[in-house]
Amino acid sequence: MSGRARFEYGAGLLLCGLLLVVALAPGFLAGSPDAVDIARRLAPPSAANWFGTDETGRDVYARVVHGAGTTLGIVGAAVVLAALLGGVAGAVAGFVGRLGDMALSRGADALLAFPPIILGIVIAATLGPGAVNLVLALGVIYAPVFFRIARAAALGEAARAYVEAARALGHREWAVLLRHVAPNVAPTVLLQCVILFPLALQIQAALGFLGLGVPPPTPDWGASLQESRNYLTAAPWLAIFPGLALLFAAVAALLLGRGLQSRG
Amino acid sequence: MLGALASRFGAAAATAVLSTAAVFLLIRAVPGDVVGEMLGQSAGDPAAEEALRAFFGLDRPLWRQYLGWAADALRGDLGASWRQGLPVAGIVGEAFLVTLQIGLATLALALLAGVPLGIVAGVRQGRWPDLAVEAFSLVALSAPVFWTGMVLLIAAGAWLGWSPPLVYAGPGEDLSDNLESIALPVLALGLLQAAAYAQFARQQTARVMRQDFVRAAVARGLPPRAVYGRHLLRNVAIPLVTFAGVILVQILGGVVVVETLFAIPGLGRTLLAAIQARDYPVLQGALLLAVLVALLVNLLVDLLYAAIDPRVRGA
Repeated sequence: MSGRARFEYGAGLLLCGLLLVVALAPGFLAGSPDAVDIARRLAPPSAANWFGTDETGRDVYARVVHGAGTTLGIVGAAVVLAALLGGVAGAVAGFVGRLGDMALSRGADALLAFPPIILGIVIAATLGPGAVNLVLALGVIYAPVFFRIARAAALGEAARAYVEAARALGHREWAVLLRHVAPNVAPTVLLQCVILFPLALQIQAALGFLGLGVPPPTPDWGASLQESRNYLTAAPWLAIFPGLALLFAAVAALLLGRGLQSRG
Repeated sequence: MLGALASRFGAAAATAVLSTAAVFLLIRAVPGDVVGEMLGQSAGDPAAEEALRAFFGLDRPLWRQYLGWAADALRGDLGASWRQGLPVAGIVGEAFLVTLQIGLATLALALLAGVPLGIVAGVRQGRWPDLAVEAFSLVALSAPVFWTGMVLLIAAGAWLGWSPPLVYAGPGEDLSDNLESIALPVLALGLLQAAAYAQFARQQTARVMRQDFVRAAVARGLPPRAVYGRHLLRNVAIPLVTFAGVILVQILGGVVVVETLFAIPGLGRTLLAAIQARDYPVLQGALLLAVLVALLVNLLVDLLYAAIDPRVRGA
């Protein structure tokens, strides 16, 4: 492992760990994200409010810290959902082949034909706003990516000698798939989860910005950016800090993904 | 070659049919349609709802609605907007031209900035130019593109005292107004895609630099200009040209959100407005166009690749 890869891996791990702490225990780091204080509305960053306050006097720092759980939780759940849907379908399609494989592959192609954000807008708009719907929309966008990767991996494994040996020993097909092929496909799918995380994060933020994300007053980075649009010149801190949080999270995931990739 | 071309074309056409069908069903799967929103106050009058639904053809079975739409679309007729009554082809085509101008300007910026940066980083691997380019692309790739746009808006207002015109001006109306309208969106998208291009160019340069013929050229004592100009650039150029297709499709996606931020009447804004108004014909037309452009660009990239590199032709 080169020095650069070691740096990327270490830094990525550290930053992701930090984000995990913020997402899981926001209460230790900041006060309430919903405490309204009209007298202190649109106050610039100060010792009392590190990131300033918004149009109802809520603390932006508290909203950014509490938003980590919402934003990262939705993206994380969506990536896991996509990995389960696409990974299982891909492994089965690649291992079994034939008609089911063809049908699923065409379906995946059809979904991949859309730019992801456009597909996300259509699905999120039809389902309506809400955290669960956002997870579903992002899950549908990225399931085909996992499908392709798991399918290719399973296809490669199915041709290996040990699979043939397992069959010759009289194991059933599903047992071979579950016990021999799946464990060899899983690491590829897991790595893909980390690689896709920053991309899914961008889409999640964009949907929140378009008003298709979680409804207010739940703190969410993308939704915060939407609320900041009317105050770009009067209160730029409303836009700067949630965006920096998104940037930070994407850098963390990107570094971890690169480090893992070059570790092989 | 001709057979491979035909099969690629067939696959693209099949994908187009499947994806439009999927979207067609998806947008009709949700409760509530244009009828309820149009009637407003008088909603609940079954006779009026029935009549309006029949007028829009919403009373027919889904598969017949799709086949009817697809048959018309094949003849070039995308129908009329349920809200404005205007032909969809006109609405969507006009919006697409706006998006296309921004897309092409972004591509030019990404190429001009990203490729030199990537090649320099690839040649000077591990040195400071490489690290600087890497740091730039890490940040540019991680920042949400609409947030980059917001930061640019804030910075232009605070430091230059300048902000883009409130109303978008097309290139046909007033060129200088038009350039002011698209400057920040193109810059925001361009920073992101320049980073993507720089990463790709760096990787391709590093790959060529490792090869024996480059080392042999250096060993023969050729001046750096000859090594880079003749041996490196020629081998890097092919993948860089084809990568333009990948970038163009990515821009098409990114531009949707940026258009909303900067109030530009492009394809993305049209799409969003059509969804909110449940204006199915416009929505379907815009999505069809988006998918067709993405498929067409990918197809062109494959063809270009085959035309330049004979090794690909058999595949």
